[in-house]
Amino acid sequence: MARMKFLCDSERCIECNGCVTACKNENEVPWGVNRRRVVTLGDGLPGEKSVSVACMHCSDAPCMAVCPVDCFYHTDEGVVLHDKDMCIGCGYCFYACPFGAPQYPQSGAFGQRGKMDKCTFCAGGPEVDHSEEEFKKYGRNRLAEGKLPLCAEMCSTKALLGGDGDVVSDIFRDRALKRGKGGEMWGWGSAYGKPEPGTKKPEVKS
Amino acid sequence: MKQLKSNSWLWACLLAACALVLASAHAADAPAPPAQIQAQAQKPGVTPAHNAEATWREVRAGTPGVTTVRGTETGVLVSPDGNTWRQIRHGPVTFYGSLLVILVIVAIALFHSRKGMLRLSEKPTGRTLVRFSNWERSVHWLVAISFVCLALTGGNMLLGKYVLMPVIGHTLFSWLAGMGKFIHNFLGVVFSVGAVLMLATFYKDNIWHPSDAEWIRKAGGLVSREHVPSRRFNFGEKIWFWLGVGLFGLVMIASGLSLLFPNLYETRHAMQTAEVIHSIAATLIFCMSLGHIYLGTIGVEGAYQSIRTGSVDETWAKEHHQLWYDEQVQKKLGKGA
Repeated sequence: MARMKFLCDSERCIECNGCVTACKNENEVPWGVNRRRVVTLGDGLPGEKSVSVACMHCSDAPCMAVCPVDCFYHTDEGVVLHDKDMCIGCGYCFYACPFGAPQYPQSGAFGQRGKMDKCTFCAGGPEVDHSEEEFKKYGRNRLAEGKLPLCAEMCSTKALLGGDGDVVSDIFRDRALKRGKGGEMWGWGSAYGKPEPGTKKPEVKS
Repeated sequence: MKQLKSNSWLWACLLAACALVLASAHAADAPAPPAQIQAQAQKPGVTPAHNAEATWREVRAGTPGVTTVRGTETGVLVSPDGNTWRQIRHGPVTFYGSLLVILVIVAIALFHSRKGMLRLSEKPTGRTLVRFSNWERSVHWLVAISFVCLALTGGNMLLGKYVLMPVIGHTLFSWLAGMGKFIHNFLGVVFSVGAVLMLATFYKDNIWHPSDAEWIRKAGGLVSREHVPSRRFNFGEKIWFWLGVGLFGLVMIASGLSLLFPNLYETRHAMQTAEVIHSIAATLIFCMSLGHIYLGTIGVEGAYQSIRTGSVDETWAKEHHQLWYDEQVQKKLGKGA
Protein backbone atom coordinates (compact mmCIF):
# COMPACT_ATOMS: atom_id res chain seq x y z
CA MET A 1 0.00 0.00 0.00
CA ALA A 2 1.17 3.46 -0.79
CA ARG A 3 1.71 5.82 2.09
CA MET A 4 -0.15 9.04 1.26
CA LYS A 5 1.66 12.29 1.95
CA PHE A 6 1.38 15.98 1.20
CA LEU A 7 4.31 18.14 0.19
CA CYS A 8 4.28 21.84 -0.64
CA ASP A 9 7.14 23.13 -2.78
CA SER A 10 7.74 26.59 -1.38
CA GLU A 11 9.81 27.49 -4.47
CA ARG A 12 6.68 27.13 -6.56
CA CYS A 13 3.75 28.21 -4.42
CA ILE A 14 2.46 31.56 -5.63
CA GLU A 15 -0.14 32.08 -2.90
CA CYS A 16 -3.07 31.93 -5.31
CA ASN A 17 -5.21 30.12 -2.73
CA GLY A 18 -6.56 27.87 -5.46
CA CYS A 19 -6.06 24.86 -3.19
CA VAL A 20 -8.09 26.52 -0.42
CA THR A 21 -10.94 27.25 -2.80
CA ALA A 22 -10.81 23.84 -4.46
CA CYS A 23 -11.01 22.16 -1.06
CA LYS A 24 -13.91 24.28 0.16
CA ASN A 25 -15.85 23.66 -3.03
CA GLU A 26 -15.16 19.96 -3.41
CA ASN A 27 -15.90 19.05 0.18
CA GLU A 28 -18.56 21.65 0.98
CA VAL A 29 -16.95 22.19 4.36
CA PRO A 30 -18.92 23.73 7.25
CA TRP A 31 -19.26 27.50 7.53
CA GLY A 32 -16.26 29.12 9.15
CA VAL A 33 -14.02 26.12 8.57
CA ASN A 34 -11.02 26.07 6.26
CA ARG A 35 -9.37 22.72 5.91
CA ARG A 36 -6.44 24.21 4.03
CA ARG A 37 -4.74 27.57 4.20
CA VAL A 38 -1.81 29.29 2.55
CA VAL A 39 0.69 30.99 4.84
CA THR A 40 3.17 33.51 3.47
CA LEU A 41 6.43 34.06 5.29
CA GLY A 42 8.21 37.38 5.06
CA ASP A 43 5.22 38.78 3.18
CA GLY A 44 6.16 41.71 0.94
CA LEU A 45 9.87 41.21 1.46
CA PRO A 46 12.30 39.93 -1.11
CA GLY A 47 12.42 36.18 -0.86
CA GLU A 48 8.95 35.83 0.63
CA LYS A 49 7.71 32.31 0.38
CA SER A 50 4.35 30.67 0.67
CA VAL A 51 3.35 27.27 1.93
CA SER A 52 -0.03 25.60 1.62
CA VAL A 53 -0.83 23.71 4.79
CA ALA A 54 -3.56 21.35 5.99
CA CYS A 55 -3.59 18.13 7.96
CA MET A 56 -0.33 16.38 7.08
CA HIS A 57 -1.64 12.93 8.09
CA CYS A 58 1.19 12.35 10.53
CA SER A 59 2.65 8.93 11.26
CA ASP A 60 2.61 9.44 15.03
CA ALA A 61 -0.38 11.73 14.94
CA PRO A 62 -0.62 13.96 18.05
CA CYS A 63 -4.38 14.42 17.56
CA MET A 64 -4.83 10.67 17.74
CA ALA A 65 -2.69 10.42 20.86
CA VAL A 66 -4.54 13.08 22.85
CA CYS A 67 -8.13 12.37 21.75
CA PRO A 68 -10.01 11.42 24.94
CA VAL A 69 -12.56 9.32 23.03
CA ASP A 70 -10.09 7.79 20.59
CA CYS A 71 -12.05 8.80 17.48
CA PHE A 72 -9.07 8.92 15.09
CA TYR A 73 -7.72 6.12 12.95
CA HIS A 74 -5.12 5.54 10.25
CA THR A 75 -6.33 4.09 6.96
CA ASP A 76 -4.25 1.46 5.18
CA GLU A 77 -2.77 4.30 3.16
CA GLY A 78 -1.66 6.25 6.23
CA VAL A 79 -4.42 8.82 6.00
CA VAL A 80 -5.57 10.13 9.39
CA LEU A 81 -9.37 10.13 9.58
CA HIS A 82 -11.80 10.63 12.44
CA ASP A 83 -15.30 9.61 13.36
CA LYS A 84 -17.52 12.65 13.80
CA ASP A 85 -20.19 10.61 15.55
CA MET A 86 -17.75 10.03 18.39
CA CYS A 87 -16.06 13.45 18.47
CA ILE A 88 -17.11 15.46 21.52
CA GLY A 89 -15.53 18.75 20.45
CA CYS A 90 -13.14 19.03 23.39
CA GLY A 91 -10.47 20.83 21.36
CA TYR A 92 -7.53 18.68 22.49
CA CYS A 93 -6.56 17.74 18.93
CA PHE A 94 -6.35 21.44 18.12
CA TYR A 95 -4.06 22.00 21.11
CA ALA A 96 -1.79 19.16 20.06
CA CYS A 97 -1.65 19.53 16.27
CA PRO A 98 1.51 21.33 15.09
CA PHE A 99 -0.15 22.37 11.82
CA GLY A 100 -3.34 23.88 13.21
CA ALA A 101 -5.39 21.45 11.14
CA PRO A 102 -8.39 20.67 13.38
CA GLN A 103 -11.20 23.21 13.08
CA TYR A 104 -14.50 23.52 14.91
CA PRO A 105 -17.75 25.00 13.71
CA GLN A 106 -19.28 26.93 16.59
CA SER A 107 -22.35 25.31 18.04
CA GLY A 108 -24.65 25.78 21.00
CA ALA A 109 -24.36 28.20 23.86
CA PHE A 110 -21.28 30.37 24.45
CA GLY A 111 -19.69 29.43 21.12
CA GLN A 112 -18.95 25.87 22.20
CA ARG A 113 -16.95 23.81 19.79
CA GLY A 114 -18.94 21.61 17.47
CA LYS A 115 -17.61 18.40 15.98
CA MET A 116 -14.08 18.72 14.70
CA ASP A 117 -13.53 19.05 10.98
CA LYS A 118 -10.24 18.64 9.16
CA CYS A 119 -8.66 17.63 5.87
CA THR A 120 -9.42 14.01 5.01
CA PHE A 121 -6.93 13.75 2.14
CA CYS A 122 -10.19 13.61 0.14
CA ALA A 123 -10.73 10.16 1.61
CA GLY A 124 -14.14 10.64 3.25
CA GLY A 125 -14.71 9.01 6.61
CA PRO A 126 -15.84 5.84 8.33
CA GLU A 127 -19.25 5.85 6.62
CA VAL A 128 -19.96 3.74 3.53
CA ASP A 129 -17.94 5.03 0.54
CA HIS A 130 -19.82 7.60 -1.56
CA SER A 131 -22.82 7.57 0.76
CA GLU A 132 -24.74 10.75 1.43
CA GLU A 133 -23.82 10.70 5.14
CA GLU A 134 -20.16 10.41 4.28
CA PHE A 135 -20.34 13.42 1.98
CA LYS A 136 -22.31 15.46 4.49
CA LYS A 137 -19.92 14.82 7.34
CA TYR A 138 -16.54 14.52 5.67
CA GLY A 139 -16.82 15.68 2.07
CA ARG A 140 -15.85 13.88 -1.11
CA ASN A 141 -14.15 10.49 -1.10
CA ARG A 142 -11.92 10.95 -4.11
CA LEU A 143 -9.46 8.28 -3.05
CA ALA A 144 -12.20 5.67 -3.35
CA GLU A 145 -12.78 6.96 -6.88
CA GLY A 146 -9.12 6.41 -7.69
CA LYS A 147 -8.37 10.13 -7.64
CA LEU A 148 -6.00 12.23 -5.56
CA PRO A 149 -6.89 15.21 -3.32
CA LEU A 150 -8.34 18.06 -5.35
CA CYS A 151 -6.19 20.76 -3.76
CA ALA A 152 -3.05 19.13 -5.17
CA GLU A 153 -4.68 18.16 -8.44
CA MET A 154 -5.79 21.73 -9.08
CA CYS A 155 -2.56 23.45 -8.01
CA SER A 156 -1.69 25.77 -10.90
CA THR A 157 2.08 25.57 -10.41
CA LYS A 158 2.16 22.00 -9.15
CA ALA A 159 3.64 23.30 -5.94
CA LEU A 160 1.31 21.21 -3.81
CA LEU A 161 1.88 17.51 -4.27
CA GLY A 162 -0.34 14.89 -2.71
CA GLY A 163 -0.17 11.15 -3.16
CA ASP A 164 2.13 8.17 -2.69
CA GLY A 165 4.90 9.51 -0.46
CA ASP A 166 7.66 7.75 -2.44
CA VAL A 167 6.49 9.19 -5.75
CA VAL A 168 6.05 12.65 -4.21
CA SER A 169 9.56 12.64 -2.77
CA ASP A 170 11.02 11.41 -6.08
CA ILE A 171 9.37 14.25 -7.99
CA PHE A 172 10.54 16.73 -5.42
CA ARG A 173 14.09 15.39 -5.35
CA ASP A 174 14.31 15.71 -9.13
CA ARG A 175 13.13 19.30 -8.95
CA ALA A 176 15.55 20.22 -6.20
CA LEU A 177 18.44 18.65 -8.07
CA LYS A 178 17.62 20.45 -11.31
CA ARG A 179 17.20 23.89 -9.81
CA GLY A 180 19.97 23.36 -7.29
CA LYS A 181 18.07 24.81 -4.34
CA GLY A 182 14.88 24.59 -2.35
CA GLY A 183 15.19 21.01 -1.23
CA GLU A 184 13.54 21.47 2.17
CA MET A 185 10.65 19.05 2.48
CA TRP A 186 8.54 21.38 4.49
CA GLY A 187 6.79 19.88 7.51
CA TRP A 188 7.93 16.31 6.80
CA GLY A 189 10.07 16.11 9.90
CA SER A 190 7.14 17.10 12.12
CA ALA A 191 4.63 14.94 10.30
CA TYR A 192 6.43 11.75 9.34
CA GLY A 193 9.45 11.77 11.63
CA LYS A 194 12.79 10.27 10.73
CA PRO A 195 12.74 7.05 8.72
CA GLU A 196 12.95 4.05 11.00
CA PRO A 197 16.28 2.30 10.99
CA GLY A 198 16.21 -0.73 8.77
CA THR A 199 13.53 0.55 6.41
CA LYS A 200 14.51 0.73 2.78
CA LYS A 201 14.94 4.11 1.22
CA PRO A 202 12.99 4.54 -2.01
CA GLU A 203 15.22 4.02 -5.01
CA VAL A 204 16.24 7.17 -6.81
CA LYS A 205 15.22 6.98 -10.45
CA SER A 206 17.99 8.26 -12.65
CA MET B 1 32.30 38.58 -11.66
CA LYS B 2 33.19 41.92 -10.14
CA GLN B 3 30.48 43.56 -12.21
CA LEU B 4 27.92 41.07 -10.95
CA LYS B 5 29.00 41.63 -7.41
CA SER B 6 28.66 45.40 -7.59
CA ASN B 7 25.33 44.88 -9.33
CA SER B 8 23.99 42.80 -6.52
CA TRP B 9 25.30 45.41 -4.11
CA LEU B 10 23.23 47.99 -5.91
CA TRP B 11 20.15 45.77 -5.83
CA ALA B 12 20.58 45.03 -2.19
CA CYS B 13 20.87 48.73 -1.41
CA LEU B 14 17.78 49.50 -3.47
CA LEU B 15 15.82 46.71 -1.82
CA ALA B 16 16.95 47.81 1.58
CA ALA B 17 15.87 51.36 0.79
CA CYS B 18 12.48 50.11 -0.42
CA ALA B 19 12.11 47.97 2.65
CA LEU B 20 12.95 50.93 4.85
CA VAL B 21 10.39 53.16 3.13
CA LEU B 22 7.78 50.44 3.30
CA ALA B 23 8.61 49.67 6.89
CA SER B 24 8.31 53.30 7.96
CA ALA B 25 5.06 53.71 6.03
CA HIS B 26 3.46 50.65 7.57
CA ALA B 27 5.22 50.64 10.88
CA ALA B 28 1.99 51.36 12.72
CA ASP B 29 -0.32 48.72 11.22
CA ALA B 30 1.87 45.89 9.93
CA PRO B 31 3.59 43.37 12.19
CA ALA B 32 7.36 43.48 11.89
CA PRO B 33 8.76 40.69 9.68
CA PRO B 34 11.00 38.12 11.34
CA ALA B 35 14.34 39.63 12.23
CA GLN B 36 16.37 37.04 10.38
CA ILE B 37 14.51 37.58 7.14
CA GLN B 38 15.14 41.30 7.44
CA ALA B 39 18.78 40.75 8.13
CA GLN B 40 19.15 38.47 5.13
CA ALA B 41 17.24 40.79 2.85
CA GLN B 42 19.76 43.46 3.60
CA LYS B 43 22.82 41.26 3.45
CA PRO B 44 24.61 41.96 0.19
CA GLY B 45 25.49 39.25 -2.26
CA VAL B 46 23.14 36.62 -0.79
CA THR B 47 20.02 35.32 -2.46
CA PRO B 48 17.61 36.92 -0.08
CA ALA B 49 16.04 34.59 2.42
CA HIS B 50 14.94 32.03 -0.11
CA ASN B 51 14.75 28.63 1.55
CA ALA B 52 17.45 29.81 3.86
CA GLU B 53 17.92 27.91 7.05
CA ALA B 54 16.97 31.01 9.03
CA THR B 55 13.46 31.09 7.61
CA TRP B 56 12.76 27.49 8.54
CA ARG B 57 14.15 28.11 11.99
CA GLU B 58 11.61 30.93 12.34
CA VAL B 59 8.88 28.56 11.20
CA ARG B 60 9.87 25.90 13.68
CA ALA B 61 9.86 28.51 16.45
CA GLY B 62 6.25 29.29 15.59
CA THR B 63 6.78 32.79 14.19
CA PRO B 64 3.57 33.70 12.38
CA GLY B 65 3.34 34.55 8.68
CA VAL B 66 0.47 36.07 6.78
CA THR B 67 -2.65 34.26 5.66
CA THR B 68 -6.10 35.18 4.40
CA VAL B 69 -7.77 32.49 6.49
CA ARG B 70 -9.09 33.87 9.74
CA GLY B 71 -9.01 32.08 13.05
CA THR B 72 -6.79 31.37 16.01
CA GLU B 73 -3.14 31.60 15.00
CA THR B 74 -3.82 30.66 11.37
CA GLY B 75 -0.60 32.44 10.38
CA VAL B 76 1.50 29.96 12.37
CA LEU B 77 2.77 27.17 10.14
CA VAL B 78 4.16 24.89 12.81
CA SER B 79 3.32 25.28 16.47
CA PRO B 80 5.98 23.54 18.54
CA ASP B 81 4.00 23.79 21.80
CA GLY B 82 1.50 21.07 20.99
CA ASN B 83 4.03 18.29 21.38
CA THR B 84 5.25 19.67 24.72
CA TRP B 85 1.67 19.74 25.96
CA ARG B 86 1.09 16.21 24.75
CA GLN B 87 4.21 14.95 26.53
CA ILE B 88 3.24 16.65 29.81
CA ARG B 89 -0.39 15.58 29.72
CA HIS B 90 0.21 12.00 28.70
CA GLY B 91 3.39 11.69 30.72
CA PRO B 92 3.69 13.01 34.29
CA VAL B 93 0.12 14.36 34.60
CA THR B 94 -1.48 11.04 33.71
CA PHE B 95 1.09 8.78 35.36
CA TYR B 96 1.89 10.56 38.62
CA GLY B 97 -1.67 11.86 38.86
CA SER B 98 -3.20 8.40 38.80
CA LEU B 99 -0.42 7.05 41.00
CA LEU B 100 -1.15 9.71 43.63
CA VAL B 101 -4.88 9.00 43.58
CA ILE B 102 -4.26 5.26 43.93
CA LEU B 103 -1.79 5.82 46.80
CA VAL B 104 -4.27 8.03 48.64
CA ILE B 105 -7.04 5.48 48.24
CA VAL B 106 -4.77 2.67 49.44
CA ALA B 107 -3.59 4.78 52.38
CA ILE B 108 -7.16 5.55 53.44
CA ALA B 109 -8.17 1.91 53.07
CA LEU B 110 -5.21 0.77 55.17
CA PHE B 111 -5.90 3.41 57.80
CA HIS B 112 -9.54 2.45 58.00
CA SER B 113 -8.86 -1.26 58.19
CA ARG B 114 -6.47 -0.70 61.10
CA LYS B 115 -8.31 2.01 63.00
CA GLY B 116 -11.91 1.59 61.94
CA MET B 117 -14.57 4.23 62.51
CA LEU B 118 -13.87 6.75 65.25
CA ARG B 119 -16.81 6.18 67.56
CA LEU B 120 -18.14 8.27 70.42
CA SER B 121 -16.70 7.13 73.74
CA GLU B 122 -19.72 8.23 75.73
CA LYS B 123 -23.40 7.68 75.14
CA PRO B 124 -25.28 10.29 73.14
CA THR B 125 -27.23 12.62 75.38
CA GLY B 126 -30.18 13.04 73.05
CA ARG B 127 -29.79 16.81 73.29
CA THR B 128 -28.69 18.37 70.05
CA LEU B 129 -26.83 21.51 69.02
CA VAL B 130 -27.24 23.25 65.67
CA ARG B 131 -23.93 22.93 63.85
CA PHE B 132 -24.86 24.00 60.32
CA SER B 133 -27.67 26.35 59.33
CA ASN B 134 -29.87 25.59 56.33
CA TRP B 135 -27.95 28.10 54.26
CA GLU B 136 -24.61 26.57 55.20
CA ARG B 137 -25.80 23.09 54.35
CA SER B 138 -27.24 24.26 51.04
CA VAL B 139 -23.94 25.86 50.11
CA HIS B 140 -22.04 22.74 51.16
CA TRP B 141 -24.16 20.39 49.10
CA LEU B 142 -24.20 22.71 46.12
CA VAL B 143 -20.42 22.62 46.08
CA ALA B 144 -20.17 18.95 47.07
CA ILE B 145 -22.56 17.56 44.47
CA SER B 146 -21.23 19.71 41.65
CA PHE B 147 -17.69 18.79 42.73
CA VAL B 148 -18.33 15.06 42.59
CA CYS B 149 -19.94 15.36 39.15
CA LEU B 150 -17.06 17.52 37.92
CA ALA B 151 -14.49 15.10 39.32
CA LEU B 152 -16.12 12.10 37.63
CA THR B 153 -16.63 13.79 34.26
CA GLY B 154 -13.24 15.49 34.36
CA GLY B 155 -11.40 12.35 35.43
CA ASN B 156 -13.14 10.59 32.57
CA MET B 157 -11.61 13.07 30.11
CA LEU B 158 -8.12 12.19 31.29
CA LEU B 159 -8.38 8.52 32.21
CA GLY B 160 -11.64 7.20 30.77
CA LYS B 161 -9.81 6.17 27.62
CA TYR B 162 -7.70 3.71 29.62
CA VAL B 163 -10.20 2.66 32.28
CA LEU B 164 -13.74 2.82 30.97
CA MET B 165 -13.43 2.57 27.19
CA PRO B 166 -11.94 -0.94 27.13
CA VAL B 167 -14.93 -2.08 29.20
CA ILE B 168 -17.89 -0.38 27.53
CA GLY B 169 -16.55 0.17 24.01
CA HIS B 170 -16.01 3.18 21.77
CA THR B 171 -19.59 4.10 20.92
CA LEU B 172 -21.09 4.13 24.39
CA PHE B 173 -17.97 5.68 25.85
CA SER B 174 -17.92 8.57 23.40
CA TRP B 175 -21.59 9.22 24.11
CA LEU B 176 -20.86 9.22 27.86
CA ALA B 177 -17.82 11.45 27.41
CA GLY B 178 -19.87 13.85 25.29
CA MET B 179 -22.53 14.06 27.99
CA GLY B 180 -19.74 14.40 30.52
CA LYS B 181 -18.21 17.34 28.70
CA PHE B 182 -21.61 19.04 28.55
CA ILE B 183 -22.23 18.44 32.27
CA HIS B 184 -18.70 19.53 33.13
CA ASN B 185 -19.07 22.81 31.24
CA PHE B 186 -22.32 23.79 32.91
CA LEU B 187 -21.68 22.46 36.40
CA GLY B 188 -18.33 24.23 36.31
CA VAL B 189 -20.22 27.50 36.50
CA VAL B 190 -22.43 26.18 39.32
CA PHE B 191 -19.34 25.05 41.23
CA SER B 192 -17.68 28.45 40.72
CA VAL B 193 -20.63 30.27 42.24
CA GLY B 194 -20.89 27.70 45.03
CA ALA B 195 -17.21 27.90 45.91
CA VAL B 196 -17.30 31.67 46.17
CA LEU B 197 -20.40 31.48 48.37
CA MET B 198 -18.68 28.82 50.46
CA LEU B 199 -15.62 31.00 50.99
CA ALA B 200 -17.84 33.91 52.01
CA THR B 201 -19.98 31.76 54.31
CA PHE B 202 -17.31 29.85 56.21
CA TYR B 203 -14.21 32.04 56.21
CA LYS B 204 -14.91 33.52 59.66
CA ASP B 205 -14.79 30.19 61.45
CA ASN B 206 -11.70 29.12 59.52
CA ILE B 207 -9.43 31.91 60.70
CA TRP B 208 -6.35 30.84 62.66
CA HIS B 209 -6.88 30.41 66.39
CA PRO B 210 -4.14 29.78 69.00
CA SER B 211 -5.69 26.40 69.80
CA ASP B 212 -4.72 25.28 66.27
CA ALA B 213 -1.07 25.17 67.34
CA GLU B 214 -1.76 22.28 69.66
CA TRP B 215 -3.75 20.51 66.98
CA ILE B 216 -0.73 20.70 64.70
CA ARG B 217 1.61 19.50 67.48
CA LYS B 218 -0.53 16.45 68.06
CA ALA B 219 -1.30 15.93 64.34
CA GLY B 220 -4.96 16.29 65.16
CA GLY B 221 -4.92 13.18 67.27
CA LEU B 222 -5.57 11.33 64.05
CA VAL B 223 -3.35 8.41 64.98
CA SER B 224 -3.46 8.60 68.74
CA ARG B 225 -7.24 8.99 68.64
CA GLU B 226 -6.95 11.60 71.36
CA HIS B 227 -9.27 14.59 71.16
CA VAL B 228 -7.54 17.90 70.62
CA PRO B 229 -9.95 20.64 71.67
CA SER B 230 -10.89 22.87 68.79
CA ARG B 231 -13.40 25.57 67.99
CA ARG B 232 -16.03 25.17 65.30
CA PHE B 233 -13.53 23.86 62.78
CA ASN B 234 -10.28 22.14 63.64
CA PHE B 235 -7.06 22.88 61.84
CA GLY B 236 -7.47 19.95 59.44
CA GLU B 237 -10.77 21.36 58.31
CA LYS B 238 -9.13 24.74 57.97
CA ILE B 239 -6.44 23.31 55.69
CA TRP B 240 -9.11 21.76 53.50
CA PHE B 241 -10.99 25.05 53.47
CA TRP B 242 -8.11 27.34 52.54
CA LEU B 243 -6.02 24.99 50.44
CA GLY B 244 -8.77 22.87 48.88
CA VAL B 245 -11.58 25.33 48.35
CA GLY B 246 -9.58 28.54 48.55
CA LEU B 247 -6.38 27.92 46.62
CA PHE B 248 -7.01 24.90 44.38
CA GLY B 249 -10.69 25.75 43.99
CA LEU B 250 -9.96 29.22 42.71
CA VAL B 251 -7.14 27.92 40.48
CA MET B 252 -9.57 25.38 39.04
CA ILE B 253 -12.19 28.06 38.48
CA ALA B 254 -9.80 30.49 36.80
CA SER B 255 -8.21 27.88 34.51
CA GLY B 256 -11.58 26.24 33.88
CA LEU B 257 -13.35 29.43 32.89
CA SER B 258 -10.57 30.29 30.47
CA LEU B 259 -10.99 26.85 28.85
CA LEU B 260 -14.74 27.32 28.71
CA PHE B 261 -14.65 30.13 26.17
CA PRO B 262 -12.28 28.92 23.45
CA ASN B 263 -13.36 31.40 20.83
CA LEU B 264 -12.81 34.57 22.77
CA TYR B 265 -9.18 35.47 22.58
CA GLU B 266 -6.92 32.62 23.43
CA THR B 267 -3.86 31.21 21.77
CA ARG B 268 -3.19 27.50 21.84
CA HIS B 269 -0.37 28.08 24.28
CA ALA B 270 -2.74 29.71 26.76
CA MET B 271 -5.20 26.83 26.47
CA GLN B 272 -2.47 24.20 26.84
CA THR B 273 -1.15 25.93 29.95
CA ALA B 274 -4.64 26.28 31.39
CA GLU B 275 -5.33 22.61 30.72
CA VAL B 276 -2.15 21.46 32.48
CA ILE B 277 -2.80 23.71 35.49
CA HIS B 278 -6.44 22.57 35.56
CA SER B 279 -5.56 18.88 35.60
CA ILE B 280 -2.76 19.17 38.17
CA ALA B 281 -4.93 21.24 40.53
CA ALA B 282 -7.79 18.79 39.90
CA THR B 283 -5.65 15.83 40.92
CA LEU B 284 -4.56 17.53 44.14
CA ILE B 285 -8.03 18.78 45.09
CA PHE B 286 -9.45 15.33 44.34
CA CYS B 287 -6.93 13.62 46.61
CA MET B 288 -7.74 16.07 49.41
CA SER B 289 -11.45 15.56 48.84
CA LEU B 290 -11.00 11.81 49.32
CA GLY B 291 -9.67 12.50 52.80
CA HIS B 292 -12.51 14.91 53.51
CA ILE B 293 -15.17 12.51 52.27
CA TYR B 294 -13.64 9.65 54.25
CA LEU B 295 -13.62 11.61 57.52
CA GLY B 296 -17.07 12.98 56.78
CA THR B 297 -18.65 9.58 56.24
CA ILE B 298 -17.21 6.28 57.47
CA GLY B 299 -14.18 7.79 59.22
CA VAL B 300 -15.95 9.55 62.05
CA GLU B 301 -19.23 8.54 63.62
CA GLY B 302 -21.81 11.31 63.48
CA ALA B 303 -19.89 13.51 61.07
CA TYR B 304 -22.16 12.76 58.13
CA GLN B 305 -25.28 13.38 60.22
CA SER B 306 -24.00 16.83 61.13
CA ILE B 307 -23.89 18.02 57.54
CA ARG B 308 -26.94 16.00 56.53
CA THR B 309 -29.31 17.21 59.25
CA GLY B 310 -27.42 20.25 60.48
CA SER B 311 -27.47 19.25 64.15
CA VAL B 312 -25.15 17.16 66.30
CA ASP B 313 -25.49 15.48 69.64
CA GLU B 314 -23.90 17.26 72.58
CA THR B 315 -21.64 14.31 73.21
CA TRP B 316 -20.36 14.51 69.64
CA ALA B 317 -19.72 18.23 70.03
CA LYS B 318 -17.87 17.69 73.29
CA GLU B 319 -15.73 14.91 71.87
CA HIS B 320 -14.86 16.56 68.59
CA HIS B 321 -15.06 20.30 69.06
CA GLN B 322 -14.74 20.93 72.78
CA LEU B 323 -14.11 24.66 72.54
CA TRP B 324 -17.02 25.13 70.17
CA TYR B 325 -19.23 23.12 72.55
CA ASP B 326 -18.21 25.33 75.45
CA GLU B 327 -19.03 28.42 73.42
CA GLN B 328 -22.45 27.06 72.50
CA VAL B 329 -23.21 26.18 76.10
CA GLN B 330 -22.15 29.65 77.23
CA LYS B 331 -24.43 31.14 74.60
CA LYS B 332 -27.36 29.03 75.70
CA LEU B 333 -26.78 29.87 79.36
CA GLY B 334 -26.49 33.54 78.48
CA LYS B 335 -29.77 33.37 76.65
CA GLY B 336 -31.43 31.49 79.46
CA ALA B 337 -30.38 34.11 82.00
